[in-house]
Amino acid sequence: MSAPYTGPKVCLWTLDHANPASLETYVANGGYSALKKILAEKTPAAEIIEQVKISALRGRGGAGFPTGLKWSFMPRNYEGDKYIVCNSDEGEPGTFKDRDIIEFNPHQLIEGMVIAGYTLGAKAGYNYIHGEIFELYESWEKALEEARSAGYLGNNICGSGWAFDVHAHQGYGAYVCGEETALLESIEGKKGQPRFKPPFPASFGLYGKPTTINNTETLASIPWIMRNGGQAFLDLGKPNNGGTKIFSISGHVNKPGNYEIPMGTPFADLLVMAGGVRDGHTLKAVIPGGSSAPVLPAEIIMACTLDYDSIAKAGSMFGSGAVIVMDETVCMVKALERLSYFYYEESCGQCTPCREGTGWMYRVVHRIEHGEGRPEDLDLLMSVGNNIAGRTICALGEAAVGPVQSFIKHFRQEFEYHIEHKRCMVGA
Amino acid sequence: MISTIKRFFNTFLLIELLKGLAVTGRHLFARKITIQYPDERTPQSPRFRGLHAQRRYANGEERCIACKLCEAVCPAMAITIESAQRADGTRRTTRYDIDLTKCIFCGFCEEACPVDAIVETRIFEYHGERRGDLYYTKAMLLAVGDQYEAQIAADRAADAKYR
Amino acid sequence: MPLITIDDQQIEIAAGSTVMDAARAAGIYIPHFCYHKKLSIAASCRMCLIEVEKAPKPLPACATPVTDGMVVRSYSAKAVEAQKGVMEFLLINHPLDCPICDQGGECQLQDIAVGYGGVASRYAEAKRVVKEKDLGPLVATDMTRCIHCSRCVRFGQEIAGIMELGMPGRGEHTEVMPFLEHHVSSELSGNVIDLCPVGALTSKPFRFSARSWEMARRKGISPHDGLGSNLALQVKDNRVMRVTPVDNEAINECWLADRDRFSYQALNSAERLTRPMVKDGGRWVEVDWPKAMAFAAGALKVIRDTHGASAIGFIASPHQTVEELYLFQKLARALGCENIDSRIDRVDFSGRRDGVEWLGMAVTDLNKLDRVLLVASTVRKEQPLIAQRLRQAVKKGAQVNVVHCADDDLLCSVANKLIARPSDLVNILAQVAKAVGADIDGLSDVVVSDAARAMAASLKSGEKKAVLLGAVAQQHPAASELHVLAQAIAKATGATLGFLVDSANAVGAGVVGCRPRQGGLNAAAMFVAPKKAYVILGAEPELDAADSAVAHQALAGAELVIALSPFKTAGADYAQVMLPVAAYAETAGSYVNMEGRLQSWCAAIPPQGEARTAWKVLRVLGNQFGLAGFDQDSAEQVLAEALPEGEATVRARLNNEIADVTVAHLNAAAGIERLGDTAVYQLDAYSRRAPALQVTVDGQVGHAAMACGALIARLGLSEDKPVKVRQSDAEVVFKLMRDDRLPDNVVRLAGGLAAAVQLGPRFGPISLEKM
Repeated sequence: MSAPYTGPKVCLWTLDHANPASLETYVANGGYSALKKILAEKTPAAEIIEQVKISALRGRGGAGFPTGLKWSFMPRNYEGDKYIVCNSDEGEPGTFKDRDIIEFNPHQLIEGMVIAGYTLGAKAGYNYIHGEIFELYESWEKALEEARSAGYLGNNICGSGWAFDVHAHQGYGAYVCGEETALLESIEGKKGQPRFKPPFPASFGLYGKPTTINNTETLASIPWIMRNGGQAFLDLGKPNNGGTKIFSISGHVNKPGNYEIPMGTPFADLLVMAGGVRDGHTLKAVIPGGSSAPVLPAEIIMACTLDYDSIAKAGSMFGSGAVIVMDETVCMVKALERLSYFYYEESCGQCTPCREGTGWMYRVVHRIEHGEGRPEDLDLLMSVGNNIAGRTICALGEAAVGPVQSFIKHFRQEFEYHIEHKRCMVGA
Repeated sequence: MISTIKRFFNTFLLIELLKGLAVTGRHLFARKITIQYPDERTPQSPRFRGLHAQRRYANGEERCIACKLCEAVCPAMAITIESAQRADGTRRTTRYDIDLTKCIFCGFCEEACPVDAIVETRIFEYHGERRGDLYYTKAMLLAVGDQYEAQIAADRAADAKYR
Repeated sequence: MPLITIDDQQIEIAAGSTVMDAARAAGIYIPHFCYHKKLSIAASCRMCLIEVEKAPKPLPACATPVTDGMVVRSYSAKAVEAQKGVMEFLLINHPLDCPICDQGGECQLQDIAVGYGGVASRYAEAKRVVKEKDLGPLVATDMTRCIHCSRCVRFGQEIAGIMELGMPGRGEHTEVMPFLEHHVSSELSGNVIDLCPVGALTSKPFRFSARSWEMARRKGISPHDGLGSNLALQVKDNRVMRVTPVDNEAINECWLADRDRFSYQALNSAERLTRPMVKDGGRWVEVDWPKAMAFAAGALKVIRDTHGASAIGFIASPHQTVEELYLFQKLARALGCENIDSRIDRVDFSGRRDGVEWLGMAVTDLNKLDRVLLVASTVRKEQPLIAQRLRQAVKKGAQVNVVHCADDDLLCSVANKLIARPSDLVNILAQVAKAVGADIDGLSDVVVSDAARAMAASLKSGEKKAVLLGAVAQQHPAASELHVLAQAIAKATGATLGFLVDSANAVGAGVVGCRPRQGGLNAAAMFVAPKKAYVILGAEPELDAADSAVAHQALAGAELVIALSPFKTAGADYAQVMLPVAAYAETAGSYVNMEGRLQSWCAAIPPQGEARTAWKVLRVLGNQFGLAGFDQDSAEQVLAEALPEGEATVRARLNNEIADVTVAHLNAAAGIERLGDTAVYQLDAYSRRAPALQVTVDGQVGHAAMACGALIARLGLSEDKPVKVRQSDAEVVFKLMRDDRLPDNVVRLAGGLAAAVQLGPRFGPISLEKM
């Protein structure tokens, strides 16, 4: 096992300083220098996008789509307004990284949004903040005000004459509003329901205008890339998986919390950093990328490194980097009941398979947990899952199916025991 | 030649007659199949399709919900239904007539009924003195149902496992 | 144009079309629920999932744009598997109550379940139950059946122009409901019944009364507004059980106004006249037809012989058919009488008109307009489906300018408006005319306001334009002045002048000559100078007339009134003979709609009781007098005689031009005045007798006196309380309601109300007094 990571951090480095969230701390450590340089040199947008492409920065919200590629989809010569939206609607159970960026390094996010706005020719940026972290909404507003008075936002940014502003938008805690088009609907003041794609937001986004939506961590990584170059960012991680990444580790570990480490770090190292599985217990399973990622049993996850490709090869999703650790005391049926209830509650109700299917899955799992399972239930769950996945408007359908199918796949015995003995295998 | 002699003997010895009497004699002592109706009755299946009845639930509520499937399926077009919303908001018939002079007792109405409201009973002895007497209205059908409910329910129960 | 392959069929279709469009063009049915040809795409039901070559997942046909060379399979194993999966999800929470569901037999879910549903359900959990909603007197709900296709919600937003239904809640708890216990009160609300693919929204008046398979669908034409919507009269046992639309893109598309849809109730009204009746010593006596006809003809002959033919007045309703109106005027003229009219609600007949007033363009042209000037029309209530077309035009960028006596919400954005009291209407229209530089005399004293200038600027821009005169403009005491001003504005701006004709066959009536010629009297004159006898066809002049009090007095004082009507309440107190004639669904006939389109139909049901079709009654009346030319055998023969060249005859007689009118009424009157426009459900004898329509919000509001808050306060009155309404020496008590969309000093009290008969003219001074 290697020593804890001590190298450069991209997002949460301000925590090594006193008063991390302040503008002074940020500027004193090179903050806003990338923006100033870009504005002074009038760096062409293509060059910025090229650097982002070199960096192999991939969307930190969960899907892992290459950011440079996404930016290149924005129409260049569009006449009319364009928008940048930052998705801070961290609703995924197990994820708590974006809130720390907003709390401890808001100016890097602001700088990232301004650079993105400059690059993509946007008129304004919106930061959609999850409804359950209201105090951060207020501190974010404060940071915006600071930036505005320091001339990093407004009608004349850094004296360049270029105008751009960032606005905060308060969500109300709906999970589905983390889906980019539902988020746009919500900003527009409508019911948070995903839109059918195509058209994609790059051509028909906020208020029908071309819009790019990026995760908080993604946008916060941009200034670092522009300061140090795309290659330096790529070198932090491994090929196709550039940079460091914040992992939100929770569950049965001794020191749960956010750890920013390079992409490609072995899972075992992260577990050590988090103080290992709580004392006297053994690792049973890990959900590696937020609750919608398929679960992986201990022996598989221990062999994985933490990057998009390795986790995908193991049959799960890197997702948002929310690592949920479960020890042997966890009843997988109970855990799945909780997870499937979440998706049942959070389905927006727009399209049929998700609206009806999430409730059906929850009720069957609930029944199994309460000793009323039937032998055919497991096959039924798999089949219902197959009927949801890939047939919905947004990815919430797949997200709801992921846990159900993976829990049954890896822990079928436990479910069968529940059905047959009408009680739990764990602790029996 | 031989056949002539045979016929001669057969004729004079009354063989044919005796043969006939033997048949008579055999039936004289055999078990009788004739039923002395109305003192005696043939056995009836629980599926017997006789006079129609309208049933009620145990609480006295009529079963029929005016879905008109029996009317639609009736090959003889013997059923006439009119429906409306009752004061309590439920869907009910305001008219339910079966013209038994048209009915061919096929039992389709019974099969089509989603609530077992229209049934055919074991009753086959009924008559009308005028043509209109065999035009059964809702009240008459409900009365038949009320009178024979025990038998109707027992017949349905007996047949239930084959459905 | 992209060439795509669907189920081995190649089809070329315009770029930007969806796979669903292509499939429909190719005649391939893809099952769907949320998709509707007239609504926006939701892609939420997922029933139309199809397999597209090279796409990893099944895609919804309704929302997938076609690309060149696309290969689509709508019935492959993969597509059917996806469709069956969706069907199962739709059915798990749908109640199995088809036997008591009014949608049973015509239900999309039922039909598609036959093709894609399982034999038995794998769902063994509790089903969802949804609390019932009250959507008012027209739409019944069973919300547990809802499959969340959102068609009704999108209809409100996109077609009706008012979002009365929404879908709050999330996931399984999503429910379609009206806002805050409101009702659905749009004049187009009945369309959600057709749109709902399941039995969640059904017709309340029709509820549980028949099954879809029992009814024959017969074609009819709506007898109300001038649009001539195509109806499917659904008939069981010679009774119209309900009315649904027949698609006609040129007229009503696939919609119907509530008035067209629910007025069939009048056909089955208890007020129907089913036997001829003769008044004998003040009492009504039922008689047989020969006696009634002999009496009617005899009495009329006596009047003619003693007082001359010009002592008779012939009044017909503009909701009667072309055939009836033709024979009616023919009878009058054969008797030597020129007092014939169907324009009962008009007062101002001045000026020289050369033809019959009409829309001036095709109905479909309304969608393509860039600029519209609406003169005195609450188009949404007068012509709900015309309003819908204007709404679509506005969505595409058209500017609607309104000159009216009430700032009624048209449910579409209005570019400019000028709202003034009825007596000031000529003035404000004159301002617009002056602002556009119209070539017309007498406007030198008119002061042009900024709003009029803005309106003029709007009207001078744009390509396709129209100036449309609404019902109030036609009923107005200075109607001819408004007409000539509108004509001048249209000429100055290059717009088309059109009339929003407010009754089903007003154009037809004009075309067949139901108008007084040389020496004849118009409707208003026939009442002002009472006649000795009246022959009335289908009309209720005491309600419809411009001055109901004068009309009623004239009828009550006449020696003889012969009423040909489907209803016994029409004319019961003043007629001497009532002849039962067939209602609109009971006779073969034709209407000419506002665009000059001739639409004929066959009788859907036989006339009730001993009623006879009106054209036959008129023919026999002609025979009674021994007149020549009354020997037609069929409605077709009558039509051929009335319009020898069919629509061509109609077109030759359409003309909106007016001349010889001086604009004089440029100064508003002092004091409070009445705005007596026709209430939406008081338009004709049928809508008045449809109970479901009368209890709607629109039906109720039509029975109240309305004034703005300022006027109510100034007079010391209180809203929602009864108030004494005084007009021309008569006094009637009405409920007073507040409507701040009315200008000051205006009391809106609808014309056509039985309770308001004594009050008299629809416009003019009126006063309100505390009880």
